[in-house]
Amino acid sequence: MSNLFPLEFTGEQFRLLTGIGIGFFFGFSLERAGFGNARKLAGQFYLNDMAVFKVMFTAVLVAMTGVFSLSAWGLLDLGELWINPTFLWAQLFAGFVLGIGFVMSGLCPGTSVVSMASGKLDGFVTVLGTFFGVLVFTLLFDKLPALRSLYSAGSGEVILLHEIFPFKFPALCLIMTVILVALGAFIFAERVEKIYQKKLGPGPLTGPNRPRMKYYVLGPMFLIALAAAIYDKPVVPEPEPLDLVAIEPLNLAERIIDGDPTLVILDLRSEEAFAEKNLPGAKLLRTLGDPADYLSNLSEGMAVVLYNQQATESEVPGTWPAGLDYFAMRGGFEAWKREVLTPREMNGSSLKEQDFTRRQNQIAGFFSGTRVQSKATAPPPPMSGGKKKKKPEGGC
Amino acid sequence: MPKNYWNPYLAGLLLGLTLLAAFMVAGQGLGASAAPKRIVALGCESINAQWAESNTAINKYFQGENAHPLKNWLILEVVGVLLGGFIGAVSAGRLKGEVLRGPRISIRGRLLYAFFGGALMGLAAAIGRGCTSGQALSGGGTLAAGGWAYMMMFFGGAYAVAWLVRRQWT
Repeated sequence: MSNLFPLEFTGEQFRLLTGIGIGFFFGFSLERAGFGNARKLAGQFYLNDMAVFKVMFTAVLVAMTGVFSLSAWGLLDLGELWINPTFLWAQLFAGFVLGIGFVMSGLCPGTSVVSMASGKLDGFVTVLGTFFGVLVFTLLFDKLPALRSLYSAGSGEVILLHEIFPFKFPALCLIMTVILVALGAFIFAERVEKIYQKKLGPGPLTGPNRPRMKYYVLGPMFLIALAAAIYDKPVVPEPEPLDLVAIEPLNLAERIIDGDPTLVILDLRSEEAFAEKNLPGAKLLRTLGDPADYLSNLSEGMAVVLYNQQATESEVPGTWPAGLDYFAMRGGFEAWKREVLTPREMNGSSLKEQDFTRRQNQIAGFFSGTRVQSKATAPPPPMSGGKKKKKPEGGC
Repeated sequence: MPKNYWNPYLAGLLLGLTLLAAFMVAGQGLGASAAPKRIVALGCESINAQWAESNTAINKYFQGENAHPLKNWLILEVVGVLLGGFIGAVSAGRLKGEVLRGPRISIRGRLLYAFFGGALMGLAAAIGRGCTSGQALSGGGTLAAGGWAYMMMFFGGAYAVAWLVRRQWT
């Protein structure tokens, strides 16, 4: 199954436009949560309105349940997502400072935009302040080495939370745990809220307390994560193709004559070409069904030689069993005809070259004389000097 | 009469689904501080292009063919946030020009706090490569370890100084 998400757009322009739609719901849900209201947000830190914690934690839980469940079902490719790299010290420092800024302004960079959009002057001023802070950073960055080293303090790798445990902790199991922890934290937050509301009153425009809502939201999330943990269908990456080692036609011919029992020869050509002429003992690949199945029945260490009409492939699919040795006959069947089946003129001057040609002609005679290989046929004597490949060749 | 805000768990559900949609559609999470960074980069470039292009904090926004600091998904997303925030406020009777503050602080005092709080956040977001949206929310939603660290420290920092600025809010 291939991934459906993230979507691929033919034009970058269209992808950019989706930002407006997604951003609309971002702004709308922040506004509905009350996050355009600095007093509502600040209530989090005076404990009479825990909306920041509830909304943020719920949103994070919903998103991560969705992301990792879809990924488990093979619908979303985690590898294609932009995930925040870990610059731990920069993030720890920045989180702390941003927290200070948050309780001062009562807003964060995102909510200040919503606050501004709903007419609040303090929201607009916070936006101005954010620009000022960014400008200060931009002006100082090249001047302060300390700022630069703080900015890049950390590994910069993408590290996911479930990976940092010393034991194997699947993401979805972590998510289910976090959902249960969140439920406990929400119950606790509601209690604390109640106590401080007696002193400070509830946050602005707070509706009736409906504590059951957390079960209606988190319950399904837990079940989705559970279903994904049980029924996962991870995307299995296509295995790397296996490299083919080139084998010389003459060399192959000798091994055939020797009756090498480890040899399996596969013909990649069409049925007509195979029927007309083929290598002794060769099997036509397309009649074998799934080659991977056929090959997996062979014992390990067998030498599988492939050939085509001309140049053969340089690799085989990674799904083929890895325990076999794969070879490609150099030059394919054309080279076989040219170099093995055709007797040569005695044109060499040195004794060595004459020996070679004689040997080659014996091989040619062997294959043109009888197609059926039998031990009774006396194989020609082995080539002097083992496996010699040097041979003057026409063309390239 | 302005309407009440939504139940926080319901608002969180909608926010979470929006974040999930961002990952599914655009392959990235939500963010808010990229816009100020890129707009400041553009401003610097229009004042002194040579300086801006040699500044290692912002020159990445000019590199590459057809690169423009504002040609970015996060910029259009923030335009959407403005629209969504506005429509949300109007539809609930909450659009009103005002300064929200506690009973014990002047408007001027509140706006000073807002400005310097904003400045701290701008600086922090630039150092930490993101703010509550880009790091805590989006990082948290993908189980990014750094995003969770950021989120914890965010609450830590806010609680650490909440008592000092209590006059502003309570």
